[in-house]
Amino acid sequence: MTSPLVFVKDLVKTFEVQKKAPGLMGAVKGLFSSETVTLTAVDGVSFSLARGEMVGYIGPNGAGKSTTIKMLTGILTPTSGTLEVDGMVPFRDRRTYTRRIGVVFGQRTQLWWDIAVVESFRLLKEIYEISDHDYGLRMKEFDELLEIGRYLDQPVRKLSLGERMRCDLAASLLHAPPLLFLDEPTIGLDVVAKANVRAFLAEVNRTLETTVILTTHDLDDIEELCQRVLLIDHGKLLYDGPISGLRDRYLPEVRIRFDLKDSALSGKRLEISGIEAENLGQNRFQVVVDLRKMASADVIREVVNRYPVVDLSVFEPDIEEVVGRIYKDHGRALPGAPVSERPATQVRASSIRRG
Amino acid sequence: MRPYLAFARASFLNLLAYRARYFVGILTYFFNVTVWYYIWKALFSEVPPGGTLGGFTFPEMLTYVATGWVLRSFYFNEIDREIAVQVQEGRMAMALIKPVDYQAMTIVQSLGESVFRAGFFAAPIALVLLAVYPVSLPASPSAALLCGVSGILSALLVAAINFCVGLIAIRTYSILGFLRAKYMVLELLSGLLIPPAFFPEKVRPVLDWLPFLHMNFTPGRIYLGLVSGRAALEVLALQAFWVVALLFLGQVLWRRTARHIESMGG
Repeated sequence: MTSPLVFVKDLVKTFEVQKKAPGLMGAVKGLFSSETVTLTAVDGVSFSLARGEMVGYIGPNGAGKSTTIKMLTGILTPTSGTLEVDGMVPFRDRRTYTRRIGVVFGQRTQLWWDIAVVESFRLLKEIYEISDHDYGLRMKEFDELLEIGRYLDQPVRKLSLGERMRCDLAASLLHAPPLLFLDEPTIGLDVVAKANVRAFLAEVNRTLETTVILTTHDLDDIEELCQRVLLIDHGKLLYDGPISGLRDRYLPEVRIRFDLKDSALSGKRLEISGIEAENLGQNRFQVVVDLRKMASADVIREVVNRYPVVDLSVFEPDIEEVVGRIYKDHGRALPGAPVSERPATQVRASSIRRG
Repeated sequence: MRPYLAFARASFLNLLAYRARYFVGILTYFFNVTVWYYIWKALFSEVPPGGTLGGFTFPEMLTYVATGWVLRSFYFNEIDREIAVQVQEGRMAMALIKPVDYQAMTIVQSLGESVFRAGFFAAPIALVLLAVYPVSLPASPSAALLCGVSGILSALLVAAINFCVGLIAIRTYSILGFLRAKYMVLELLSGLLIPPAFFPEKVRPVLDWLPFLHMNFTPGRIYLGLVSGRAALEVLALQAFWVVALLFLGQVLWRRTARHIESMGG
């Protein structure tokens, strides 16, 4: 077995945040004393990734996702723990390390806002010291896959979000990094644009064997792209495995919905295997089966044997529902101040322009 | 080196994107010189013809004012504000994921801006001022050359100062106020508004020990030939020393601030 590309062990990141007492007196007090509280954003996370893997990194807002990604990309220094990617320590070897990764933050662009896209690409070509030959080759490839050719001479500010995202993806892969970080790459995109982005990512992962770490709130991204998912909340890793396993583990239930022949039973209470069926109206009923307690086949058999069923369907909870349940349950089980993704200082300096 | 040249180039192109700002900018400088022209004219009306104020005759003072503003139109940059905005909008992360030195990247971008400004601001402004007001040409060819060198050092110096200021500003709660105060203080201490001779006796030696006079006063007096030959070279050496010292200070501050920035979410 080859060594993992990404190796993370007991990773911890804490932030010192100034404590502010409320009200005017609090503000005055804050001038003289600076009490700080320690927030733990990432709390002992361990995992490793093999080359060519495509994993989804999910969790509710403030769970510690961004903080982990920022440590993995060398922007933040971990408080403790081990972090090694491609034989390098990201925060220590930042300048060399960042040559080996690509990063896309869906909400921001790495392209220059006011100049033609191709100028940003030329800049990246120089930064990453890409040869003319490789540059030409990749630009041709990206144009085929993403059709960015016709936007190249336009400034970014004139592009739509979907067009911009395609350009940003190309920009992040121009130096053919073995590892790609994507933070919300489909945020704000329409259905077609999302599909394009996903198809492109799948293609890149397949042909270039690029390892991809994807954080997203759109679980369709994960379902379509990732074999493996990491779920984090309150800084702790809750789950690491295939996405189907997430369902089995956290919401092992199915809903059986059936329509009856006539209205004879409407308004009656039906009980199947000790579970009360929910009357959905118009002769339609639904039972929620906890798969830890019984098999859905048994329930179906009983329904069909006892009642005049015309039609029957079985629903698995979709992944949104599963994850929603995990966030909710976990939130109740572990109360505590959630770590905000961007705490602290309010700064505004937008309106000086002299000269 | 090539990556950094590419940054300068991108920065140059970026400025070309907004042309309206450019024409307004030229007018602003012209008005500034006009205001100071009438202020000094009024002040010199009390002085007998050929007399001096703070060691300057009226034509010298006018030339000093004009070179000062032309120079400012060249070295002006807003690195400090851009750093603050980057932190505030969480864009610093985008800069940190690039395999480049942040300070070097920032400063070459501002030099790219200065190249733009030399062609599109400083040169046309200088021509307009020469045409409209009785501004003198450089005292000698060597003064012109040394003033050019000094001007480039000024641009580096201002970039180095603003880089430090930006890093300090993000630690304050009132970045806007802090940066506005910086403009006022630097316009005064650089000798842009008044030559240092007008400062109180006790303040002058302090000014000589600060880097700010090298922003304006140094290239201005070289242009006028008030300092020349060996003395001019010494002044240039001191100016270069300050550039290096402040770049070094910026690097030190950056190492410390990087740790602070992260607690603000990058």
